[in-house]
Amino acid sequence: MANLDTVSRELMLDSLKEYAKRRLPFDFLRENDEKNRFPEEILREMYDINVMGIHLLLIPREYGGLGGSTFDIYRVCEALARIDLGVATSVFATFLGTDPLKVGGTEAQKKHWMSRIANEKLLVAYAATEADAGSDLVNLRTRAEHVIKNGKLVGYKINGNKQWISNGGVADILTVLALAPGGPSWFIVEKTADGFSANKHEDKHGIRLSNTAGLCFDDIIVPADHLIGEAEGQGLSQAQAVFGYTRLMVAAFGLGAGWEALETAIRYSQQRIQAGGPLSEKQGYTHKLIVPHAVRLTASRAFIEYVANRLDGGEHGLQTEGAIGKYYATESGNKAAEDAIQALGGYGYTRDFSPEKIKRDVKITCIYEGTNEIMEMTICRGRWQEHLKSRGRFYVDMAAEMDALHAATPDVGAEVAACGLRALAKVLEECRVQKLTRHQHVMFSLGSLIAEAETAAALCKAASEKNISPTHRFDRDTMRAMSRVHARETAFNVATRGLKLVSGSVTEGVGALAEGMELPKIEARQHGNTEDMDFIASKLNEYCKAK
Amino acid sequence: MRIVVCIKQVPDSTRVKVDPQTGTLVRAGVPSILNPYDHYALERALEIKKHHAGTELVVLSMGPPQAVSVVRLALALGADKGILLSDRAFAGSDTWATSYALSMALKKIGKVDLILCGQMAIDGDTAQTGPAVAQQLHMPQITFCDTVSVSGRKLTAKQYIDGGYQVVEAMLPVLCTMTMPHDYKPAFPAFLNIMAAQDKPFETWTAQDIGADTAYLGLEGSPTRVDRIFAPPPREKGQVFEGSAAELAERMLEILRQENVLKP
Repeated sequence: MANLDTVSRELMLDSLKEYAKRRLPFDFLRENDEKNRFPEEILREMYDINVMGIHLLLIPREYGGLGGSTFDIYRVCEALARIDLGVATSVFATFLGTDPLKVGGTEAQKKHWMSRIANEKLLVAYAATEADAGSDLVNLRTRAEHVIKNGKLVGYKINGNKQWISNGGVADILTVLALAPGGPSWFIVEKTADGFSANKHEDKHGIRLSNTAGLCFDDIIVPADHLIGEAEGQGLSQAQAVFGYTRLMVAAFGLGAGWEALETAIRYSQQRIQAGGPLSEKQGYTHKLIVPHAVRLTASRAFIEYVANRLDGGEHGLQTEGAIGKYYATESGNKAAEDAIQALGGYGYTRDFSPEKIKRDVKITCIYEGTNEIMEMTICRGRWQEHLKSRGRFYVDMAAEMDALHAATPDVGAEVAACGLRALAKVLEECRVQKLTRHQHVMFSLGSLIAEAETAAALCKAASEKNISPTHRFDRDTMRAMSRVHARETAFNVATRGLKLVSGSVTEGVGALAEGMELPKIEARQHGNTEDMDFIASKLNEYCKAK
Repeated sequence: MRIVVCIKQVPDSTRVKVDPQTGTLVRAGVPSILNPYDHYALERALEIKKHHAGTELVVLSMGPPQAVSVVRLALALGADKGILLSDRAFAGSDTWATSYALSMALKKIGKVDLILCGQMAIDGDTAQTGPAVAQQLHMPQITFCDTVSVSGRKLTAKQYIDGGYQVVEAMLPVLCTMTMPHDYKPAFPAFLNIMAAQDKPFETWTAQDIGADTAYLGLEGSPTRVDRIFAPPPREKGQVFEGSAAELAERMLEILRQENVLKP
């Protein structure tokens, strides 16, 4: 059987949207949000293979699933986020919970557990985090001791506590990270196990439709074949192996939630008449609250798709890329939702309108699956290695690629994106020479600059494609205008913030660095930006009409 | 038994706006859907199939290559085979030319016992194509059906007429056009069925494949000439009167007399 094709993927998205329209209207979401209630019946229904079977996307074909690609799952995650990030998070927890099995399970384990998850509408949780072990799992305290019978290892006795576990209080099956004698390892625990209990459902700022709970493991005995992979000490590498992929899914959450809030604002702005005309026609409104977010979200999508296609093409890991996607898309989604509240004025500040809820919900995407500060560090560490390994050529080469793109397609802003990338190469090199990465602040800030510069390159490429990905929904001219605006903004940011970063951390002046930053060229290429933003604003009103 | 359901991909007209300057439809950002009347017809056909073992349900559509998505949707919902008529020669066909193409395809399909069509497509609202197909095939037709059932070679249809409905019986083969209840909610397929639809038989046929004479196809072969398209002027606002019940009754009488509804 072939993989899912685009038509099938779009039909699945249609089914999901139709289901949400009928079963998850705003009033229902609002009521559950207010009551801090996890709508278990909805999740079970979504996992009913006769109704929808959304979870099948992550289960390989041989175990009764659909074997969805990264691209398929990114699209579904985005669509889920547009509906409700709490429900999305609960589905995602099942995705995450099955990952250790997928990556490290033995054939028999996969067959047994995956088939059950496919067919029995089971909720799954991924239990790694503890009070003292978040992104840094070195302090993992949950233990799994050997249970020996007649000199033979027959099982493990698990003791410890977990925290912030999505689906923790409702999952039927949990994959639990615990320290076995041979090192951190994943175990499968069923909620019926003696000694297992979940704490109360947390009273959260947002994603209140998703169950989040602390877990207690008190002398729980699991059979030896519940150790994933049946070899101890593989836990951390099994967790690391999927970060590129799982973080891309959180990126899709930021993207979906951001667009949902932004589109609400765009539609509102067409109907809100002030001072003789709709807000949608006022630059002071659109160029601050709408257009910049549309551009950043479009850049986020371009980057997510670039990474998804690489993962689907067979590349592994891509942890730095996953981190860039997650960082940039969730920051963009969070800011878009924040400004959507502003765009709706007083209405935006009430619970009667969705941006208020979306804003509370989307904030979690900047926190879970590694906080965005951890992302900045991961990005910087990854690319720092590339910078060193290539002797400073990594971004110079990427800039050359942009220059070549500019020669072929001069209207996507690739020339100024190239300036940004060269400026980045210079900043990194200066940081190396001056040994500035000893400052954590410098490292993390570089992570942010890297994300900006690389999303600009991704958008330039996406906008210059002969067949622009239909997921963007915009025509060629709009995509190219967005690409130019993004390239200008990021190049300017990378150069000026990079300069500030280095200047602020060295004792002497950085005159040579400032001269090499091509600032006059970057400034000159800002020409036409307002006109491009005018064009994007008018196009957004066309693509997103008020009902 | 073989049932063919004729389906069409249409813009979701509930979300289409008319450009006030040019009078044309603004299609940007508007999704394409399976025409809801066709969707309903398909569901009725699936119901018949459920009660008649060995029934083959074929869906037939005409449109650009991207119309494959409505055919695939029909397959995911339970149709057995999909056929898409797609060829530049079909472009610009009016309802008569379209019905000619569909009837040629139906002849190629072979023995067909029942043809179901939606009453009309929500983009054009003509309600002509289904009846015209029956005409071209010299087949009896029952229009405006709400439900249909088959027993042996006999079809029973509940057909809406002015002021109520009538129950009509016909011998197969017959063509029915289906209307839909006002609160109809189209079924959507589960993910597994969408996947399975990828492997069901699907064919794209050109004008040549169905042996159609291109003189009867496309703009050339279409007798309809569109004079102009315009948005109808908005309806004027009604008058609102306020007052006590007695005053309002008096006011109403006065208006009815003015309009010559009542004798002065």
